[in-house]
Amino acid sequence: MSGSNRLSGLKARPKDTSAQEVRRVDEVGEALGFVDRSPRKKPGRKPSPRTYQLHPKVFPATGAAIAAEAERLGITQGQLIEQMWAAYQPPDS
Amino acid sequence: MPVIVMASPKGGVGKSTCAVLLASEFARMGAGVTVLDCDPNKSLTRWAGHGTPDRVTLRNDIGRSEIVPAIRAADGDGRIVIVDLEGVASQLVSRAISQADLVIVPMQPTALDAEIGSEALALIREEEEALGRAIRHAVVLTKTSAAVKSRVQKELEEQLRGAGIDVIEPSLVSRAAFSELFAYGGDLTMMLQDSAMTTGGRVDTALQNARSFAEAVYERLK
Repeated sequence: MSGSNRLSGLKARPKDTSAQEVRRVDEVGEALGFVDRSPRKKPGRKPSPRTYQLHPKVFPATGAAIAAEAERLGITQGQLIEQMWAAYQPPDS
Repeated sequence: MPVIVMASPKGGVGKSTCAVLLASEFARMGAGVTVLDCDPNKSLTRWAGHGTPDRVTLRNDIGRSEIVPAIRAADGDGRIVIVDLEGVASQLVSRAISQADLVIVPMQPTALDAEIGSEALALIREEEEALGRAIRHAVVLTKTSAAVKSRVQKELEEQLRGAGIDVIEPSLVSRAAFSELFAYGGDLTMMLQDSAMTTGGRVDTALQNARSFAEAVYERLK
């Protein structure tokens, strides 16, 4: 078997690749036990990159106000402190 | 260009070997070949890690979501696409079969291989019915004896043909050279020319077997 002319004549048959067709193929496969066996992602929350622990002690009213503001913004107290720190930085730093 | 899919829910039947032999032979004939390694064992990726023949490219890490677009992209590039699938019953397998111009079901001549391999044949028939179009498919017997055709092999061939299933001739004989391709990479021609690639068997007869097999597959793609 040699020469490329014979191969250049080979053609693929047209196939439907629509989502509907793929769904139909999945259904047919599932009925015969050909199910989704893709590896599942590891369950649970990913570890946070925020690993540095601060130890601030503040007056109760200040602490309660910071906690309430973080909750209102839907972020953690650590993220709020990061934002406060960013705002505290002089513009040229 | 055509899409050839190696499918069997059983592992160790010779899907990757068939894929390597076909990719090598079609590339030798002058065609660009894209091999999609969808097997988590990454047999073809290991083979390619030692070097691929000219005109053969490999893509790996293809899952259920990527298989249809990956085949479509490779096919659109005007290359022959060869898909090596995992040896399990999965949606990845059923999706790949739906995109095939030829599905090859490798099967060792044993009762267990025949039974599990028939699940792939049943899936192809169901998909044909659901999609309203024929999906060409054929069985190739693998790891057969070079010396004699066993009784089991004769009976299996008879049963398959009796059920109207296309059986590729020749079968792929159990050859050390086929196994050692995965250790050295490249193709059988390179192995024949490089004495450093030592095998326990005859490379020339393995090459002849591979060429006859590729010719038989080509006839089914016309």
